[in-house]
Amino acid sequence: MITAEGITVAYGRRRVLDGVSLSLARGETVGLRGPSGAGKSTLLRVLALLHRPAAGTVSIDGTAITGTRYTVPAAVRTRIGVLFQSPRAAADPRLSLADIIAEPLRVARRSDISARVADLADTVGLTADLLSRRPHAVSDGQLQRACLARAFAHTPDYLLCDEATTMLDAATQALIATVITDYQQRHNAGVLIVTHDPALMTRWADRTLDLADLPATAR
Amino acid sequence: MAELTLRRSRMPRPAITVATAVLVSAAAAGLLAPVLWPLDQSAVDLAQTRLAPSWAHPAGTDDLGRDVAHRTVYGLRVSLLVGAVAALVATIIGGIVGGIAGTLGGPVDRILMRIVDTVAALPHLLLGIFIVAMLRPGLGAVVLSVGLTHWLSTARIVRSELLSLRTRPFIDAAISGGAGRLRVLTRHLLPHVLPKLALATTLMVPHAVWHETALSFLGLGLPPHLASLGNMINDGQGSLLTGAWWPSLMPGLVIVIVTLALATVVARWRDRLDPRVRAELQL
Amino acid sequence: MTTTVRTSSLLAISDLTVRFRLPDATVHAVTGIDVTVAPGELLAVVGESGCGKSVLAHALLGLLPANAAVTGTALLHGDGAPIDLLTADDKILARSVRGRRIGLVPQSPATALTPVRTGRRLLEETLRAHGRPRAEADTVAAGVGLTPADLDLYPHELSGGMAQRLATALALAPDPPLLLADEPTSGLDRPLVDATLDVLRQRCDNGAAVILITHDLAAAQRVADSVAVMYASRIVEHRPAAGFFAGPRHPYAHALLDALPDRAFAPIPGHPPMLTALPAGCAFAPRCPHAADDCGIQPGLHPDVACHHPIGDRP
Repeated sequence: MITAEGITVAYGRRRVLDGVSLSLARGETVGLRGPSGAGKSTLLRVLALLHRPAAGTVSIDGTAITGTRYTVPAAVRTRIGVLFQSPRAAADPRLSLADIIAEPLRVARRSDISARVADLADTVGLTADLLSRRPHAVSDGQLQRACLARAFAHTPDYLLCDEATTMLDAATQALIATVITDYQQRHNAGVLIVTHDPALMTRWADRTLDLADLPATAR
Repeated sequence: MAELTLRRSRMPRPAITVATAVLVSAAAAGLLAPVLWPLDQSAVDLAQTRLAPSWAHPAGTDDLGRDVAHRTVYGLRVSLLVGAVAALVATIIGGIVGGIAGTLGGPVDRILMRIVDTVAALPHLLLGIFIVAMLRPGLGAVVLSVGLTHWLSTARIVRSELLSLRTRPFIDAAISGGAGRLRVLTRHLLPHVLPKLALATTLMVPHAVWHETALSFLGLGLPPHLASLGNMINDGQGSLLTGAWWPSLMPGLVIVIVTLALATVVARWRDRLDPRVRAELQL
Repeated sequence: MTTTVRTSSLLAISDLTVRFRLPDATVHAVTGIDVTVAPGELLAVVGESGCGKSVLAHALLGLLPANAAVTGTALLHGDGAPIDLLTADDKILARSVRGRRIGLVPQSPATALTPVRTGRRLLEETLRAHGRPRAEADTVAAGVGLTPADLDLYPHELSGGMAQRLATALALAPDPPLLLADEPTSGLDRPLVDATLDVLRQRCDNGAAVILITHDLAAAQRVADSVAVMYASRIVEHRPAAGFFAGPRHPYAHALLDALPDRAFAPIPGHPPMLTALPAGCAFAPRCPHAADDCGIQPGLHPDVACHHPIGDRP
């Protein structure tokens, strides 16, 4: 269980989140909606330990996490996978798709990197000829598949998706959702999806939260 | 059926070819001169002072009877060397300052950038003169003087590049994948910054050449007997009053042509490096 | 349009083909497009990223990079003789076509807006440049759902949705008879998507024509009169929207609609082909459940679906 309690985030004077609490259990798919600019993405980044809130704590299985980004131990960070809205922005343009997927494995000094990359690529339906290409030579949908494979690299217990299919065509969206659901069932992972598409939310999420209705413990 | 191609305004191809040819010959002349056409820097020939251009002396001789064309080749050699080394020094200083500011951010960034703004507020040449005056005149002093006054733009470029990269989602993705600070720096940040840094260095070489020329012209640069373009233009001043226009002409023309050629080639390179332009080329 | 009779056309695209020459390959970005757009029609061009739909829009505006080769015709009708958008002089396009006769709602409005002027200044300048009174700024803005107070903000003070609406207002200000909207709803949430789409619909109801380029099928279903599906640089199906959404005939279009979350939510197996290495026959055949031997020959768009075995023809 990953839990956020009393999360407050402000950019300058503008308070984006005000004491918001939310929890995500393993095995469930939670949908998060709310108007644009309401702080959905910010809340997701806080849960992913990428953004330090002004107040509030994130805990995993009851253990409060101190720090954000580099100050969180790598073993804790890699328990949470993230899939971003724009695959173009989330992929280093200089690296091939194979390198993009391999990067987290290299960081962890895994020995079986090439086999693992092939395995991950297969999971998301990327063929060998696509793996050798760089981001500019593949479509948004193919690049997002590579980003998903990268997010799976350390077999995270939780996967957070920030409008991850908004920019993709229907076929790729359905594929990404199918692959994530398969992964979730195999590894009993908790999945959070942020989306503004009501049809997608209804179809994909077990339960739906509206950011405006979330309990505000620290108000 | 009509076929059309649309062109964006870029540096025309002949200009690039000419500029490249100029640079290659300048570099070759500088490198090969000591082998093919040795020069005794301190030699003078008082019997042949201020001779107008002729077949024997294509650019004439100066007030000490030295061949202007011959010395211009050596002057170019020294100026390019000083320009390149000074640009490198400036890049190293700017890279370190910008790198620290951009990676650490926060108060460190604010303090370093305040320093950059302060130094930028002082006139370059004045600061350069001050630095030379503090040291013993010579090649090292000139290099330091140019280097210490030209690192500001590099520092700004590196810093802003790092700051904008830091917020990119692919950095977030790397952190989320378990990468540490060093890994992110070496694998994701530096490879993006280094080409821009190299470009900044190259762009700075013409500036550095001019700065060296200006210092030497003011008599604060290299020792007077040493042929540098600035020294030669400075020496030529005296001859100008006697009606001999040639001792300054050739070094002046050479510095203008070579720096223009350098700027042209660098502009072309920048076009290729600009991600927007590059994305179009690879469409 | 082949299924309804149009008495007049605003834009007639015929055999439009775009190729990009690369050092080691040729990109077949757009191939043999034949489309007619009538006044009052909203045509949605749908397809996945990289299918060529954005290149089509850029070709019509004469905004392709230097390595592009364009063939075919795209006649824009209006007062006087029609202009071929593909061969017309760039100066004429810049002076009297782009903006004036063809408006563009760009994909990323944040980068398309001049950062140092308020929305009002931008809008008033555009209105004045096209001979309309500056006082109409509020009216035009209200048409896209911006209040007079919103107009006094600078672009960086606008949210993504407001910037999109401002960009739309700027495109509408010259009252162009044809509007090209290139993914105008990407990055917007559903209420803003719907609001933007309704503005486009209203344009058509008032007699203008709109080409909406989008990957969002739900958006197309909401407002389009007709839908053209692009796959691997070609239009594979082009039909009136109602009939298309009720019963797509091309297997790709069928599979694409089936992937929607409120339908089967089923992915299409395989990958689209590279535009540098298209197969000789139907480009969808390798992924198609109905593929047969004759699919090795490129099917034409007859009459409104480019397939040898369209759905509905089989027993």
